[in-house]
Amino acid sequence: MIELRNVDFHYGGENGTGDGVDALDLTIADGECVVLCGESGCGKTTVTRLINGLIPQFYEGELIGEVFIDGHNVSASELSETAALVGSVFQNPKSQFFNIDTTGELTFGCENLGMSREDIGRRLDKTRRDMKLDPLMNRNIFELSGGEKQQIACGSVYATEPKVFVMDEPSSNLDKKAINRLHDIMVKMKQDGKTIVVSEHRIHYLMDIADRFIYMNDGRIVHEYTADQMRTLTENELSELGLRCTSIGNIAVGAENAVAQNGTPALDVIDLSCSRGNSRILDADRIMFPENSIVAVVGDNGCGKSTLAEALCGLIPSDGSVSFGGTFLNDKQRRQKCFMVMQDVNRQLFSDSVIEEVMMNSDCTAEEADRTLERLGLAEYRDRHPASLSGGQKQRTAIAAALCAGKEIIFCDEPTSGLDRRGMERFGELLRGMKDKVKLSVIITHDPELILRCCTHVLHMERGRVSAFYPLDKEGSQRIKNYFMSESDDTTSKKRDHKSQIGKILEYAGKDRAKVYIAAALMMIGAAASVVPYALVSGIVNKVVHGEPVTLEGSVWVIAGVLIAEIVYAVFYMQGLRVSHHAAFGTLENIRCILQEKLESQPLGTVARHSKGEIKKLFSDDIESIEMLLAHMIPEGAANLFVPAAALIILIAADWQLALLTILMVFIGLGVSRQMYSVGMDRMGSYFASAKRMNNAIVEYVNGMEVVRVFNRDGAASEKYEKAVTDYRDYALDWYKVSWPWMALYGSVFSSVVMYSLPFGALLILLGQLDISNYILALILSFGIGPLLLHCMSFIGSIPQVSFKIQSLEKALDDLPLKAGNSGFTGKDNTVTFENVRFAYKDNEVIKGITFSADEGKVTALVGHSGSGKSTLAKLLVHYYDIRSGSISIGGQDIRDMSQDALNSRVAYVSQEVFLFNKTIMENIRAGRKGASDEEVIEAAKKAECDEFIRSLPHGYDTPAGAAGNMLSGGQKQRIAFARAILKDAPIIILDEATASVDAENEAKMRRAMGEITRGKTVIVIAHKLRSVKNADKIIVLDGGEISAEGTHDELATSSGEYRRLWAMSEETHEWTLKKEVQAV
Amino acid sequence: MDFELYGEDKNALVKFDPRTKFVVFAVSLVVSANSYNVAALVIYSVVLCLMLFLCGKKANAVKAFLMLAFAVFLRFSMEHAGTGAPVIVTIVSCILMIFLFFFPVMLSIMILTQTTRINQFLSAFQAMHLPTAVIIPIAVMFRFIPTVRDEWNGIRKAMAFRGISLEPAAVIRSPLKTIEYILIPLLFSSVSIMEELAAAALARGMDRSGKRSSYEEIKLGVHDYAVMALFIGAAVYFIVVSIITGGTAQ
Repeated sequence: MIELRNVDFHYGGENGTGDGVDALDLTIADGECVVLCGESGCGKTTVTRLINGLIPQFYEGELIGEVFIDGHNVSASELSETAALVGSVFQNPKSQFFNIDTTGELTFGCENLGMSREDIGRRLDKTRRDMKLDPLMNRNIFELSGGEKQQIACGSVYATEPKVFVMDEPSSNLDKKAINRLHDIMVKMKQDGKTIVVSEHRIHYLMDIADRFIYMNDGRIVHEYTADQMRTLTENELSELGLRCTSIGNIAVGAENAVAQNGTPALDVIDLSCSRGNSRILDADRIMFPENSIVAVVGDNGCGKSTLAEALCGLIPSDGSVSFGGTFLNDKQRRQKCFMVMQDVNRQLFSDSVIEEVMMNSDCTAEEADRTLERLGLAEYRDRHPASLSGGQKQRTAIAAALCAGKEIIFCDEPTSGLDRRGMERFGELLRGMKDKVKLSVIITHDPELILRCCTHVLHMERGRVSAFYPLDKEGSQRIKNYFMSESDDTTSKKRDHKSQIGKILEYAGKDRAKVYIAAALMMIGAAASVVPYALVSGIVNKVVHGEPVTLEGSVWVIAGVLIAEIVYAVFYMQGLRVSHHAAFGTLENIRCILQEKLESQPLGTVARHSKGEIKKLFSDDIESIEMLLAHMIPEGAANLFVPAAALIILIAADWQLALLTILMVFIGLGVSRQMYSVGMDRMGSYFASAKRMNNAIVEYVNGMEVVRVFNRDGAASEKYEKAVTDYRDYALDWYKVSWPWMALYGSVFSSVVMYSLPFGALLILLGQLDISNYILALILSFGIGPLLLHCMSFIGSIPQVSFKIQSLEKALDDLPLKAGNSGFTGKDNTVTFENVRFAYKDNEVIKGITFSADEGKVTALVGHSGSGKSTLAKLLVHYYDIRSGSISIGGQDIRDMSQDALNSRVAYVSQEVFLFNKTIMENIRAGRKGASDEEVIEAAKKAECDEFIRSLPHGYDTPAGAAGNMLSGGQKQRIAFARAILKDAPIIILDEATASVDAENEAKMRRAMGEITRGKTVIVIAHKLRSVKNADKIIVLDGGEISAEGTHDELATSSGEYRRLWAMSEETHEWTLKKEVQAV
Repeated sequence: MDFELYGEDKNALVKFDPRTKFVVFAVSLVVSANSYNVAALVIYSVVLCLMLFLCGKKANAVKAFLMLAFAVFLRFSMEHAGTGAPVIVTIVSCILMIFLFFFPVMLSIMILTQTTRINQFLSAFQAMHLPTAVIIPIAVMFRFIPTVRDEWNGIRKAMAFRGISLEPAAVIRSPLKTIEYILIPLLFSSVSIMEELAAAALARGMDRSGKRSSYEEIKLGVHDYAVMALFIGAAVYFIVVSIITGGTAQ
């Protein structure tokens, strides 16, 4: 039990402000969870410090009254004694860990308390299990995200097993995922019977944990609420109290936020990408930020929000193009146009007073500066030192400086973390007020209240990519609220990997890796042999120089030696190449297989996002380029470096001065090629992006040729094509332009190492320091190693290319796979249930919270205008995509828990487009169930009413579908699809627009076939022709992604206007077809 | 921020106690200061390379060994040939001797820092019965190096927006101003981190007067004693030889 008995405290000491708390009387029972809330400066943090003893032991001041925990007087005892009773978690994840690695941090508290090693081990184990910390063990804390740090902080105090947990604004730096995690941890603590005292601004996540809310104002407890009472407070009452929302769903939406999008965008981003080490951390295809908008960037921690902002500002190097109002700007120009208000404002205030800060490095006059300060409410602080201001005032000072410096684009990095309601509102107003002064504001934030209050657009980021960009209109607001309310995946950040590019490739090589090494060894022997002839020949030349006669007998051995060396060289080099090619193509096979597996496991949406051209390039060209690296660069490069090194050693033995000179030249050459590498790498991104665009344009052009010709739209299409090609030319030339001079330079340095040693050697001979025979040896060795070095360096030029391709391969591979489980079907029946399902194709949310069930053995029809989401629902049920939130279940089992096979065996999907494989008709039907006998196939075909027309084909069932494909009508193809479904005999059938392309004669057959398939099954029909689903057990009317009505035909005909409209429309077209047929007769 | 800033011993073939590494470091200092015998110095350096290899930094050990071999070979070739312009000979042999003398110190620092985790250090200090007043500041220092680096990165970015240039020319033009621009934000943010850190550490019982325990287990094994004996023996040998040769020289 915690008791505060009539406590008065005021901060004193040298930094004391005199603030504090008065007349506090508070009793908190064991196992209770109490939330302290109120505006900033109301004294809630002071209460937490009173409980954990930091007041008065650490923070000085005047204390009257006492604080007891289970009878233990906290105020009077040492902090270390209190530490065993009370565990504290603080606001700033950055400054509350003492160690560098996570394990050390988790045991820190226990070590301080002097526990035995076994005891600590046991507690560490328990903490790891209870707090689900496995992925975070043995990590560098500096690599973790803020949320993960906070998890470790909670774990660290949890390990000491205190009775009371005190938390001071633990969520203020956290994203939604981390808040969810924090919530779960607190639930666990509460289950363990711990007492929790939290001081917090964001209270929405505490609503189901807290027993009591204590509202403070001006250092006094003003009111107490139970959770239920809290929930009933209206927005206005909360605003009155200065409290944040109690539920995200209730946040009021600011006045019409969205601005009309017209004219040129303020910021146009094309193919922006960024890499850290060897991994691509940002990859945005195209973003257009409208002018005068306020864009909120949301997404989990570590998804690339800050990287995007920093790349846009030109702070970090990036590839791709960024244009401001139509003009392309480089990094430096962007830095001049942009300003970023950082999360830690302390870092960006440099001067002694506010006015100096604002005027620094800007052209504005003192009057203008004063006006700006006035506008931001800073006029009275004009001459104060920035460090003496409050957090919000510092923020405004930074913004004022940005405005005075004429910055046009303002970025804010989590501006409202740790702010109370008024602070947040004030900031929102400030942003809205600035809207017309600056071209664009971009806010990185986790704060739904701020977004809904002032932003006009939302940009979603996911794993380094832009997953959606939409205006914050009515629909957008609902969507963003929903984003913040949905549970997120429980993934933690990956351990950073420090592998080099070549190391990664070798990893893909798998068991072929040994071959690469063998190849390198063989080639080294070969290359070494290739130098031997030079040494041998130098022997002969030596003799000549020294005036000894060169006889044939004497030279035979030398010539033989040369011959043998050449043979050894040829044999070993060839063998090496053979082995390395084996290894290389083996590796390519591995990579292609891995790529294919990944592609298969991904949602169709992700796959479809890549164009065909792109995927083809990935599978064939990009992977092919790795062959170059494996088969040539690694082994040959190693060999070609090894031999010159050996030659230089010999040279040192011969004459060290000459050798040092040669080494110097080689180093200059290496420096030059390194320069080329880095310069080339810079331009590589733009070059490859343009190559990608060109590929796409070509594919599109060829695919669309037919349409283009028919509609005579040659102009526009070829213009696009031409632009892509010209772009490619420009970027490629650009790349070569910067690389060429360096290429030329190292080419000359390496190929003429001799040039430099020749005169120097001559000088040495004249000085009598060099023996002429050694001189000759040196010259000849230089001749020998020059070509080898040059050969080797020619690879260096292509390393950036290869490494860029590897990066894009890895990026393509790292998408999240579809969430499929491993278990079989365990549902109790075949009822399909959609539970508040939401789904978006990128920017466009098409399913907005749909809930319905299709009962076992009944027919459920989905009707609605095209684009109302009918087909999408079907695709979601067969798990082509993962839903954003909600759940889809069969017989009570979520489809995400089932393996894809299990799901496939339950559901047969007859889609609008029928795909026929290029095999016989027999095989095509058999695709429904592998291993079905011919008889079964024919039986199914009969039931589907297609036996008749199949037999009339030239080879009956053995007619290849490729050839027959052109002969079959749409209706016939569809009936083949029916036959497949009948063969499959799955208990759930989805028929999508099944009768869309069928004429009257076919329709009768179709109807019979349909009756056959659907007998005794759970059926979901998607149809435009309402007449065909008139008898369905349940009809669901969809409108714009929502369910507008539900019932039988008769019910809907009276209750739903939307249904009546659809019905009338459908009847009209029906009659129209009939009439046409009558006329035709 | 990579872990490489501090050591890691998970690849170690033999896990040595940090105390052993301290002994190696001390011996290296003695050897560098007292060696007049290049052959002995080279042998000692090779042993250090082997130590580094055993401690898990295999690539670095091989690299260091190759550099050593190259230097020795070059020195040998120079002496053997006896040629060369006097100026060049002096410069090159000077560089070589400096390299050879500093090699043991550099390598033992690598062994000490690159293959020892911070916790092992702290536990070793505790095991060596150093007072808390010494251990805590060292721990804080270790903790603060990456923090300052973080802060510095942030400040540099902030400077870019404010048009404060860090190009050498600008720094030379107004060095004091530049230092001020760097130090003011660095100090302000470091001070606030420091205070919060102190509060967090105290609230978790850091200043407890009783004995602090340690989860990190460090124990001197047979291999530790063997290595220590070997190195102390080497130190004694080098000192004795240096006294003898020093004596005869006089």
